[in-house]
Amino acid sequence: MVDPMADAPLLDIKRMSLTYATQRGPVHALQDVSLAIPRGGAMGLVGESGSGKSSVVLAMLGLLGQGAETVCDSALFDGLDLRAAAETLRGRRIGVVFQDPAAALNPALTIGFQVAEPLVQHRGLSREAAFARAVELLGEMGIARAAQVARAYPHQLSGGMKQRAVIATALACEPELLLLDEPTTALDVTVEAQILDLLEELRRERGVSMLLVSHNLGIVDRLCDELTVLYAGRVVEQGACTELLGDPRHPYTRGLLAALPRVDRGKMGRLAPIPGGLPDLTRPIEGCNFEPRCAFAVAACALPQALRAADGRAVRCHRAEEIAGQPWPIPEAAADAVRPEKPLTLLRAEGLTRSFGHSSLLSRLSLKGLKPATDFKAVDGVSLTIGRGEVLGLVGESGCGKSTLGRLVLRLLRADSGTLHFEGKEIADEPPTAYRRRAQIVFQNPDSSLNPRQTVDEALRRPLIRFGLASGAEATKEVERLLDLVRLPPSYRQRYPHQMSGGEKQRIGIARALASRPDFLVCDEAVSALDVSVQAAVLNLLTDLRDELDVAYLFISHDIGVVAHIADRIAVMYRGAIVEEGPAREMLMPPYHPYTEALLSAVPVVGAHGRAASRIRLTGDVSSAPGTIGCRFAHRCPRHLGATCDTVEPPVRKFGEGHRIACHLTPDELKAMPPALAAE
Amino acid sequence: MAGFLARRFLSVLFVLWAMTVLVFAIVHILPGSVAHMILGEFATDAAIVELEERLGLNQPLYLQYWHWFTGLLRGDFGQSLTMERPAAPLILEALGKSAILAGISIVLVAIVGISLGIHSATHVGTWSDRGLTLMQYFFIAVPEFFWCILVILFFAAWLGWLPATGYSPISEAGILGWARHLILPVSTLVLGLIAHISRLVRSSMLEAIESRYVLAARAKGLPERIVLRRHALPNALLPAITILAVDIGILIGGIVVVESVFAYPGLGRMLIYAIDNQDVPLMMGGMIVITTIYALANLAADILYAVLNPRIRVSGTAG
Repeated sequence: MVDPMADAPLLDIKRMSLTYATQRGPVHALQDVSLAIPRGGAMGLVGESGSGKSSVVLAMLGLLGQGAETVCDSALFDGLDLRAAAETLRGRRIGVVFQDPAAALNPALTIGFQVAEPLVQHRGLSREAAFARAVELLGEMGIARAAQVARAYPHQLSGGMKQRAVIATALACEPELLLLDEPTTALDVTVEAQILDLLEELRRERGVSMLLVSHNLGIVDRLCDELTVLYAGRVVEQGACTELLGDPRHPYTRGLLAALPRVDRGKMGRLAPIPGGLPDLTRPIEGCNFEPRCAFAVAACALPQALRAADGRAVRCHRAEEIAGQPWPIPEAAADAVRPEKPLTLLRAEGLTRSFGHSSLLSRLSLKGLKPATDFKAVDGVSLTIGRGEVLGLVGESGCGKSTLGRLVLRLLRADSGTLHFEGKEIADEPPTAYRRRAQIVFQNPDSSLNPRQTVDEALRRPLIRFGLASGAEATKEVERLLDLVRLPPSYRQRYPHQMSGGEKQRIGIARALASRPDFLVCDEAVSALDVSVQAAVLNLLTDLRDELDVAYLFISHDIGVVAHIADRIAVMYRGAIVEEGPAREMLMPPYHPYTEALLSAVPVVGAHGRAASRIRLTGDVSSAPGTIGCRFAHRCPRHLGATCDTVEPPVRKFGEGHRIACHLTPDELKAMPPALAAE
Repeated sequence: MAGFLARRFLSVLFVLWAMTVLVFAIVHILPGSVAHMILGEFATDAAIVELEERLGLNQPLYLQYWHWFTGLLRGDFGQSLTMERPAAPLILEALGKSAILAGISIVLVAIVGISLGIHSATHVGTWSDRGLTLMQYFFIAVPEFFWCILVILFFAAWLGWLPATGYSPISEAGILGWARHLILPVSTLVLGLIAHISRLVRSSMLEAIESRYVLAARAKGLPERIVLRRHALPNALLPAITILAVDIGILIGGIVVVESVFAYPGLGRMLIYAIDNQDVPLMMGGMIVITTIYALANLAADILYAVLNPRIRVSGTAG
């Protein structure tokens, strides 16, 4: 007997639209979104923030909350109408994994209880039986000592462990479909790689279908066979993942790919940003809604566009064939500066150390005698030099001490020991105003680093007056010059932060840092909060400004692709110390420090179907470390040699021009490593 | 956890000791002699010398403090000047009466306040939520003494349902008589506090309902009832516990007012009496007792918070 349902997709949504009622009127968050996932298939859903990706997931689950209204032709899950059955399907046949496991787990309940909950609810298991099954599930998700973890509370676990627990919860009732909403966005790249391996294994061994929502094309490429590209609530392109990413047809997909810094390509000249931002969704556009930002737009784009299907692909662009093969245009560099091979030293730090711990006397008391609680060394004897106009990239996982180091070289944070020289002059703990003027910082999140009650003019004028550089009409002229530097029109002077987009706010953050005409900028995750299309523009801007103004950057980022794109030299930090440092082009090829090798092979690269040439996987995370004697990476090192690594501080091996690796492996062993990045 | 409790306990002890110094200083170091204060400006020198002798006021200050402080530790609060009796039993008796008032009030505030807060949070935007919100702001804004006067006029003077003032023990008036005397003071005490706590629970409950873990709980397919009770409520109640302890301070302030208006023989009324009659030992004893209660209430709240919050109760990493 042939089951008529066998060929039907597991999930089949046709023309789903979603509106949110807001004070400004209805927001058309999704318009005619159709997608289908076959049994055992995996669909990726990508787009910028605000494109409606997460709304698709919530709408399918019937969890949109008040004020949201969904309309669709049909929404079927295994032949059942999702609109009526969502409530009985969730947790049972559809599992969900949300972004940021720290927020998705209830802090007041144990891990085991939370994993067991669906089993008690849907399978009618007793508490004890469900808990025992939860321990098994945690074990299956690759958690060692699962019984112990099951009795722990979320705050006792690392980010990667928490996400494994969330995945275990989603899989508890053996669902046929797993909805993954940015499942690795809050995690470090090495932990992300572990979670992606786990998800891949689940697909392979359990045949779970997946809908993966992500802004990261590399992740989607690694995990999915099908891809849907969403722009401002509309599907603009749909098709098989490899073909779609290899030969993108819609200008938006092409723009996204051209804007992506690629660690496998190293230092590219310039990225191709997509200008502008999302359209106002309260006023839906009849024609193509990407037209205002599109490099290939013509008059006919104002007409309504249909999603045209051809040879297994669907594209919502009438010019798709016409413009095939034309690359997304890359803007010209503002100045073509020739950089000196060896720039003069601008800043030199030696042996910078900073501990954090228990400062007050009462908190130092512990019950076991009056032994003071141990301090945590965030930065441990770090030395670095930065040349005039040079970009030093600083990479490492969260908690490795990157940001602390950035604050130490600015003397924003007092160092326990170590010296700092700027242009050969020693800078004391309480730096002179002149140093504050010449060394500035750009923060990660412009939403919290710009005062919401200050206009752009006030924010930019403040440093001018504070450092006595300009006042009155002269300052106004200077503010306009700064706006021009960051490519914003003078009319922005009167804007408040909430009147600007994320990219524009970050431009103001950069302009504010540049107001005092500094020679040195610390960019602390300066582009991490931005969408790829906007990030590209800000990275181009930073590159141009370096060329125009000869400013040096300490560019701190967790994203090795971004760092590889912008930096002249790269330093890799692990648990408070720099383990490898060298010219950017040399850092991406062997010899590597084993940690650098692991970082590079963890990056999901678009085009290589997300796979690195060598798949080095780290176990655990930074926090699982014992005390520091010997090499600080020894506890996770895949190339661990034995007792030497645990007890003896590694020697610094020198290769070529300023390339240093702190490792017990011999120089020949280091050179013999295979490349970690896959060639395309 | 043990370290946390030990630290909190030590700091409470320190606060209490610091308060003895402060209370002593307020009375003794401020300009003007205590004997003068007590006897009035027309006292004879001989009377002043005699009183100073009797109270030990002619001794150096540190000795006076030492005698008073060691007395406190032994439970000796000195002699009441106006009633010529040891102050400790007087204070204890008044404390017992106030404790009845405060105990009933705090239980009511916790139960009614938290229930109303949960109701509002789960019925956001409905008429009952809007009505409650309006009433809550009204009760927070209007001070106790206004309610005191209003309820006396309405229930005691006009309707004549309840006694306006006083207190009668169960042994004399029976449960009903005892309760009849408590209804008006308790209701005036709790109105503002219930409004305050229910506002707070409403907002912390709303925050919990909008959290990711509640969304995740819904995505697990749990019924809304369990989502709210098991996932949202425990987290929403944590801030309420801390505020409840802070509100005990407000409650004590309210008790002083309410006891005076309703002529209720508790600690607050005794304190006003001691101040009016310059009964220094009674006044100092009363202040120390109130401080101690406030500090212990906060300690209790901290312990409760720690017990209910695994992030404090359980430390270290697992796995």
